[in-house]
Amino acid sequence: MTRAYVKRRIKDVSDVIAGSILLCFSLALVFYLVPNYINEPPILQNPMMSPRWLPGIVGWMIVLFSILLILQGFLLDRSGEDDERQIEKGSTRRFILMVAALLIYVALFEAMGAVFTGILATLILFVAHPVRTWWAYSLAFVFPIAVTFLFVKVMNVPLPISPIGF
Amino acid sequence: MENFSEVIAIFFSLDNFIAIALGVVIGVVVGSIPGLTATMAVALALPFTFSMQPVAAILLLVGIYKGGMYGGSITAILIRTPGSPASACTLLDGYPMAQQGHAKKALKTALYSSVIADFISNIALIFFAAYLAKIALNFGAPEFFWLICFSLTIIISLASGSMIKGLMAALLGILLSLVGLDEVFGSQRFTFGNYNLMDSISFIPLLIGLFAIPEIIEFYRKKALPHIKAKASGAGLAFSELKRCMTTIVRGSLIGVIIGAIPGTGATAAAFISYSDARRRSPNKANFGKGEVEGVAAAEAGNNGVAGATMIPLLSLGIPGDVITAIILGAFMVHGLTPGPIMFQENLSLIYALFMGIMFSSVVLLLVGNVAIKYFSLIADIPKSILFPIVLMFCVYGAYAVNNDTFDVWLMLAFGVLGYIFNRAAIPAAPFLIGFILGPMFEDNLRRSLLIGHNDLSIFVRGPITWAFIALTVGSIGLALYRFISARREARNIADKA
Repeated sequence: MTRAYVKRRIKDVSDVIAGSILLCFSLALVFYLVPNYINEPPILQNPMMSPRWLPGIVGWMIVLFSILLILQGFLLDRSGEDDERQIEKGSTRRFILMVAALLIYVALFEAMGAVFTGILATLILFVAHPVRTWWAYSLAFVFPIAVTFLFVKVMNVPLPISPIGF
Repeated sequence: MENFSEVIAIFFSLDNFIAIALGVVIGVVVGSIPGLTATMAVALALPFTFSMQPVAAILLLVGIYKGGMYGGSITAILIRTPGSPASACTLLDGYPMAQQGHAKKALKTALYSSVIADFISNIALIFFAAYLAKIALNFGAPEFFWLICFSLTIIISLASGSMIKGLMAALLGILLSLVGLDEVFGSQRFTFGNYNLMDSISFIPLLIGLFAIPEIIEFYRKKALPHIKAKASGAGLAFSELKRCMTTIVRGSLIGVIIGAIPGTGATAAAFISYSDARRRSPNKANFGKGEVEGVAAAEAGNNGVAGATMIPLLSLGIPGDVITAIILGAFMVHGLTPGPIMFQENLSLIYALFMGIMFSSVVLLLVGNVAIKYFSLIADIPKSILFPIVLMFCVYGAYAVNNDTFDVWLMLAFGVLGYIFNRAAIPAAPFLIGFILGPMFEDNLRRSLLIGHNDLSIFVRGPITWAFIALTVGSIGLALYRFISARREARNIADKA
């Protein structure tokens, strides 16, 4: 099956892909997740009272609509309507640095404290784009300190503090 | 009289005034920066309200909402980049005006139209919310069940883009809302043995993840675009010009009020309907789209007319009309309050204090807006490469602050990725959030109806109110199908012509 053949038969590939993923998910939901991960009480006066009833109904509706979405992808070309789906990709380095900053937040937030991780991740993101105004790098230090202070001291919302005390 | 003094006592607090002023300033600033939306700002501000008094907390969020609605017009006029989707209509005439050297006039028109529309919308809120809440006192569980069905279907049927995707998003939202312990039987649902999920999925990480993180991911994924500088110049708006636009502004405000009161429609639709109505009636019809001051007034009046009215279903029925009111509903819940008819009985003073604050926010908007024209356009010059790292920091801090647990930060990132996938697949996030909020209400009212009716399904058609909501639900499904079929027909016609 060539690429051109697929393009000719499928009007909107992303709809077909989204529909297929949702179909697989909904079938797993209906036949595996609902029966295995929702405990049903032994006695029920009405099946609609069951904790499984609504998830089951929702699951079957997702099955139905994902099939309709696949059909829509085969029959209707909506690519013109959904232009925002098309993006011109930027450099991979920038994206990887952003992922690194996100991982720093989740991996080090509790261990190293809000201020330290905030400074580190912000600096990485400044380098990622990159920010060329030298004084802007001072914001990477000012904001994490100021916002942490605001949360902890003014709003009384605790944030983790690093072992060395900030 | 006793109530009145209580209202005054609740409202006249320095915290409330600071919250309103701060909210409007934050809203205008955020709204004026393309890529940062009022929704994002309201979501990020929510964790800051934990330690505030309920009235101040809600007023802060309402202030951000209102400021954001106006702020979006600044960059729409100056650099042809709407700060919010609802401001897209403003640029049709605002940007040509700026190009002709009348940027200041366009900005002033937008400001005065916004403030007048906002004021009219607030009056509508005060009048209709109490009235609707009085009617809603007669609602029982079956009536609320059908009201939720109607709200879900109308939100989906009026959502932009594919109806199937809107429905799918709402269903996924409902499904996710069911995670945790079942309220009636105490059974675990999709917790996978993780104790963090037993108390259901936290609302704030979901919110921040869904509405802030995708923008950040997209910024670092997309090719960097050149930064455009903004400048507000030219003469201001003459009183005679404002007077000429007055009828358009009032009409646009009323359109905004009507549209805002219907769940799911939103400010964008109101702005475009108001604009096309003004164009149809105006003697300067030919000048629309080329820099007509009336065009800016109509768009902004429609856009801001929604702001107060969208809170009518929220306060009177407990049903959020759009994403921002869904977040505000979350704020009510964080402070142990449940909007709806009962709140009008039990917390009337608080509601009227809120009304006073909402009215006051219009005045603050006028003051802040005037300053914004001069200085805030400079904020739009701050590059996103500096802003987004700081926004991400707010996201992480805000998500963590909910339960002081890194699990919520993970959850926020997971929803961020989901939101990004939604954007790429053109699946709307708004029905997902509304589904997440209405899901538990739907199930709760269904079960309560069954218990009240002793498992007899006839309780769902027990009287004229239920019949009316059934008719509305069927009607909204019909409307969705009609929109789907007519859109297909139009697309086919365009294809045939091509």
